[in-house]
Amino acid sequence: MADISASAPPSPTTSIGATLRKRAFSSPSDTALTVIVFGILLWLAWTLFDWAILRAIWSAENVDQCGKGTGAGACWAVIDARHRLILFGLYPFDQHWRSTLAAVAIIATVILSCIPLMWTARRIVTLWIVGFATYYLLMEGSLIGLQQVTTDGWGGLSLTLFLFSSVVLLGMPMGLGLALMRRSKMPFVRGFAVVLIDFVRSLPLLVTLFTAAVVIPIILPSWLEGDKIWRVIIAFALFFACYQAEVFRGGFQAIPKGQFEAGAALGLSYWQTLGRIVLPQVFRHALPSTINMVVITFKETALVIIIGFFDIMASAKAAFGTGEWAPHYLEVYVFVALIYWAFIFSLGQYGEYLKGRMAISER
Amino acid sequence: MLTKSSFLGIAAAALAMLPATAMAESPTVQQIKERGTLLCSGHNGSYFGFVEVNDKNEWKGLDIDLCRALTTAILGDPNANQIVPLSWAQRFPALQSGDVDVIIKATGWTMGRDTELGLQFSLPYFFGGTQFMAHGDLGITEAKDLEGGTICVEAGTTIERISANYLSTIGVEHTMVSYESAAELRAAYVANRCDAFAGWGPNLAVLRATEIDNPDAHVILSDQLSSEPISAAMRQGDEEFVDVVNWMLAAMLIAEEEGVTMANVEEMAANPPNPKVARLLGAEPGMGERLGLRDTWAREMIAAVGNFGEVYDRNLGANSPYNLDRGLNNLWSHGGVLYAPILD
Repeated sequence: MADISASAPPSPTTSIGATLRKRAFSSPSDTALTVIVFGILLWLAWTLFDWAILRAIWSAENVDQCGKGTGAGACWAVIDARHRLILFGLYPFDQHWRSTLAAVAIIATVILSCIPLMWTARRIVTLWIVGFATYYLLMEGSLIGLQQVTTDGWGGLSLTLFLFSSVVLLGMPMGLGLALMRRSKMPFVRGFAVVLIDFVRSLPLLVTLFTAAVVIPIILPSWLEGDKIWRVIIAFALFFACYQAEVFRGGFQAIPKGQFEAGAALGLSYWQTLGRIVLPQVFRHALPSTINMVVITFKETALVIIIGFFDIMASAKAAFGTGEWAPHYLEVYVFVALIYWAFIFSLGQYGEYLKGRMAISER
Repeated sequence: MLTKSSFLGIAAAALAMLPATAMAESPTVQQIKERGTLLCSGHNGSYFGFVEVNDKNEWKGLDIDLCRALTTAILGDPNANQIVPLSWAQRFPALQSGDVDVIIKATGWTMGRDTELGLQFSLPYFFGGTQFMAHGDLGITEAKDLEGGTICVEAGTTIERISANYLSTIGVEHTMVSYESAAELRAAYVANRCDAFAGWGPNLAVLRATEIDNPDAHVILSDQLSSEPISAAMRQGDEEFVDVVNWMLAAMLIAEEEGVTMANVEEMAANPPNPKVARLLGAEPGMGERLGLRDTWAREMIAAVGNFGEVYDRNLGANSPYNLDRGLNNLWSHGGVLYAPILD
């Protein structure tokens, strides 16, 4: 970082006006381009602001003022009236506090596991067990004396968060395991990993989920079926793991073979070499693609709509799926997009933070 | 592969060998009674008028009301059901694997489903077909006037095939433009990119009533390109359950025919105006035993959800935002095609 300013010549003028003049208005054509581009951007921003804020209808009582056409502003009344459906899906109306707490538990678990202080095996495993147990006990309810809500009734944001975090938490170690198996010297182990990874990767996610949810109960005896949600999470995690294994493989390939040999020469065992020398570097190399996978997985949870889960996308569709709210689908999509954005943007920012943190070790 | 359905098949075959005098109870009904809940099909989202979710996160709609009616008939409580959210693609496998007991989900009765998929269908409870909707300012009333026009359709649907077929049969030159999703299609039509668009009749009416500025500026053309019977679907091999579902629908139609409503059902049961009503409402025995149900099942059912006309009006007709005309879906005595078998 510091070397950039050292090599660049000192700039003669530093005032904002001068910089602007130099960058945007240095010639007539530059000036024209600047004016046109910023004109369009301002006009777009103003139109959006006007639609979303100035001419918007905010409360459900004023829904009769909402226009059906393009002339009117945003009708946020639909969010006012239907936000509980969007956020909680089909969860029983008077039990929504449980779904809220459960979502908070999952978010807290994820945030805590992002903090380096928690990164010891015992702490992180305890955290996950506590976090997911809290989620399950609250959502299901019968074990702590609340009204029972079967997984069919789970929905909305807390279902999306649960699917996402369980897929990533299960899939990440599975992916690492598959990547290690793929590097194994034992032909059977290696062959198994290669076949599994290539097989799962050549199926669309939709087919994998559909098979887990719909086809398996037809084949398996009913005592082996388990709940649909677990089948789907396991299948989704397997799918995630197979891609993540390839991401880790890229990380492994970046490690010179000499490091393994050096480890062996020092008398370290396979696991010691792996855990203390190789894996920390693998994680660092694999980080950008891993963040990518995680973000994609968050968005792909919306695919569970096809197997009848009421995740936040499905409940959003149900929210504008009645006669009185049908014209205002755009507002519902904007609302859901903001929720997705908030989560995915935070994930991306966390990735940036991790990159910065790991960069310290490369100095 | 279909282990459970073949098991049911064997069970049904075994039951069929029993002497015909004893009314065998349907294995599905037995299962429902043991479980204490009826498993019905819902939707992954909503399907206007048929399956929707209200502000209290509860299911509603024509199909949901029919499920509640069936639940009341079998278990005596309209709320003793569980609505399992299912996508379109998922519904038949879900029925075969036992995730649901019955599919009441705007499902058309086709030969393929009836034979290859191993389903049985009830009496049709709704008729809807492909129709055209056009911009009113074109001044057209029937498909013949669409000469040289642009028609928008949803890609890869039966509607695309049916409308192309129909227009070439009546010799109308046209350009067909297909769109991937219903939302795209609507937007294209509203933006005047096509003169007319083809869709399922009830959907067109719903769209006209809800999503377009001025409903009167659009006409649904008089041509009825097809008419699809919508029925409840059940697993093959349980005839007694089909009987229960059929008579559930029949009782709702008979109630409408005889003027038995949610409001007056108790009074009608106390003083039946004729023997048919007396039998229907269980004032005279015979209604229940033959189906393996209680004699008063129809009375409880109508008290809980109403007769067919009331259910229709609440969800699609005059008392709903859609205000969909009953048309074909009226009783035969009012110019429709719905009728009940004879109650003897």
